Formats: sequence, C-alpha cells, structure tokens
Amino acid sequence: MSRRAAGGDGAAFAMLVEKYERPLRGFLARTIGLEHADDIAQEAFIKAWRAAGQYDGRARYSTWLTRIAWRCRLDALRKERKTETMDESAGYAPPSGEAEDMLARLSETERASLVLCEGHGWTHAEAAELLGMPLGTLKSTVARAKAKCRAMWEGADHG
Amino acid sequence: MDDEFEDFLSSALAPPDRMPDRQFVTRVQAGIAIEEQLSAQRRRAIADLARQLVALAAVAGGLWWISRAPPVAMWLVDSPAQALAILLLAFAFVVATFVLRPASANDFSGLARLRN
Repeated sequence: MSRRAAGGDGAAFAMLVEKYERPLRGFLARTIGLEHADDIAQEAFIKAWRAAGQYDGRARYSTWLTRIAWRCRLDALRKERKTETMDESAGYAPPSGEAEDMLARLSETERASLVLCEGHGWTHAEAAELLGMPLGTLKSTVARAKAKCRAMWEGADHG
Repeated sequence: MDDEFEDFLSSALAPPDRMPDRQFVTRVQAGIAIEEQLSAQRRRAIADLARQLVALAAVAGGLWWISRAPPVAMWLVDSPAQALAILLLAFAFVVATFVLRPASANDFSGLARLRN
C-alpha cells in the first residue's frame, strides 16, 4: 500500500490514512492534548503524502508517520517560541478519563514515552529514536512516568 | 495488584477502539488536493517569472546593443531628454509587464483562504 501511495495513488494513500489515523490521533491526543492533535495529525498525513517516495520500508509505516507528526509538533512549538516549555503541561487538554487525568500530571515527554511504549507497543529503541533521546534516558523516563501513574492509581482507591 | 495496574495502563493507553474516521480521511484528502493545487500554481508562477526575466534581459541586451551603434549613440548624446523619455517608457513597460502577470501567479490568496 505504501509503495502504491509513493507512486501517487491517492486511493491507496486514503486507505493508509484510514488505517493509521486512529493510533496517530490517539497518541497525539494523549500526548499533546485534543486541541492540537487533529491539526498536527492532518499536517503529518499531508507531509507523509508529499514525502511518500522517501519511505524505504525499513521502519514500520506507523513509526515513520509518527516521526513526521512529532516533527510537526516540534516545528509548531518552535513557531510559538515555546520550545523551552515543551515539558510543561500548559495548554494540554486531555480527553476525559482516569488515565487522562494521570497523563495530565506528567510532562509531555513522559506522556509520549509512556503512551508509545505501554499503550502502542513500541520498543524502547523506537520511542527513543522518535523522541530524540538516548535509550537509557527513555527507559528511565518511562519508568518514572509509570511510577507516577502507579502512585496516582494506588492513591485513587485501587491499591 | 501489579498485574491489575499493568492491565489498566496498557488498555487505557492503547489506541482508541473505534471505526476509522471517514470525515478525517476526507479532510486529509481535501488538504492534499489544496496543497497540490498550490504547488502547481507556485511552479507555474516561477516558470512565468523566469520567462519574463529572460525576455526582459533580451530586450535590455538588444537596446544596449542598438545604443552602441554610432548614429544612435550620437543621437543619445545630442538629445538626452528624448533618451530619458524612452528610458522612462521602457521602465513603464517593465512595470506593466510585471503587474499584468498571468492570473496563475496571483491566485495564492484565494487558495490560502480555502486552506484555512
């Protein structure tokens, strides 16, 4: 399908969008909030269409796509001159729910690491590459985020 | 309890379990169509501009070459006011050429509105 899309087949690309919009928008909504998730996802798909010929199949398509989306997110942050506040939760409007309340109390990097590794089945190496951090740092970020969530979960009468 | 928390976390953070969002797919397709229109128009505008610059350079070169011919050079020295008038006319022609460029070069505002 990705090869057909690279050849300019719009129908094939629409099928890719259909297949990957759910995980991508889910990841973005949980990581950066509902407010910006759809805009970033749309921008990422348009960029993926333009760069379809560059997809070499070495990584999973979802990994490649998420990488594009994450770059879009970083570009948007840069444009807003808020790069230095990337790890803060300001402006984060999560979907409602117990897990989302927990996520809201984590930094954006912690959210991204946790959602990818614990929810989307990414390997630590894949997530580390996407987020541009050393593998060890990513592992400790996931562990820290998980520990925070566990503490909140246990504090909410689950323990 | 560890298992219970792990189960909770992995199910809560998993991608949402729903049907594909056709509306979103349509939005992406519309966005792609607009992007493609924009880039086609950008390419056309650049090609137009390049053609006009080449034409302008050719006309300027031709005028310079003519002005070097002895009778014309003498006339220019004798009648600087007329030479200046011709230069102004040439300048007006250049301005008119660029202002009246093909519509393709000036269509971006409409598309940009559509995009937003």
